[in-house]
Amino acid sequence: MKRSYLGVIILAAILMMNIVFTQYMVHQYYYENYVNVLIFGGLNIVLFPLAVFAYKKTINMRA
Amino acid sequence: MSDKNNKIPFNEDNYTHNIERNNERKLDRRGFMKTLVGAAGVFAVSSLPWGAVAAKELMGLGEKEYPHKKITEVSKLPIGDAVEFKFPGDHDDAILIRLSENKYVAYQNACTHLRCPVFWVKEQSEMICPCHHGKFDVETGSPTAGPPRRPLPEIQVKVENGAIFAVRVKRYEA
Ligand code: FES
Repeated sequence: MKRSYLGVIILAAILMMNIVFTQYMVHQYYYENYVNVLIFGGLNIVLFPLAVFAYKKTINMRA
Repeated sequence: MSDKNNKIPFNEDNYTHNIERNNERKLDRRGFMKTLVGAAGVFAVSSLPWGAVAAKELMGLGEKEYPHKKITEVSKLPIGDAVEFKFPGDHDDAILIRLSENKYVAYQNACTHLRCPVFWVKEQSEMICPCHHGKFDVETGSPTAGPPRRPLPEIQVKVENGAIFAVRVKRYEA
């Protein structure tokens, strides 16, 4: 049985984006650019359903 | 009576019969991916408070006017010296520096790197953070050396009747 690591790769990429967005959000908060905080906080939240979706799509995939 | 008792002691030499060793710590791809999805969820949830506070600031609720606070008397602060005070809250460290006869600057002196207290070095005319040797320009509060990237928030001061007052914390220009 061959395995697909595509899902793992996608999820790792999502987590990487999570880290980048969070870092950026916190810094923008201290710079008082509150609109950017909202944008990147929103992106962080959107990434979660995306991660669930990626999990469901790839979990039974065999390549 | 059940026949359970007939089997005690067990007819085996396995004294750890209640431990299932096989697969006990198995982390398969599915479990690993679930962990990753969970981590994404943690990130999403922990973004919420930042968004909430930012939204609050955007709606102008954070624009509080703090009561003007007396820092010190002009006569007690020679030129080139600095005095530390708290503004606007009781836990917000700040520093006032007298640069010349009539020129005062004040900053919130929590370093913008990791919040160590920045202090004034008269001999070098520099504000220095002891933790990782960050340096700040005394005229503007912007970082000149070391890890900090963001200027110190400036505090507007005024002189009245021989005393120096902290008025408000300036915003960064957008
Ligand atoms: S905390 Fe000031 S330089 Fe690191």
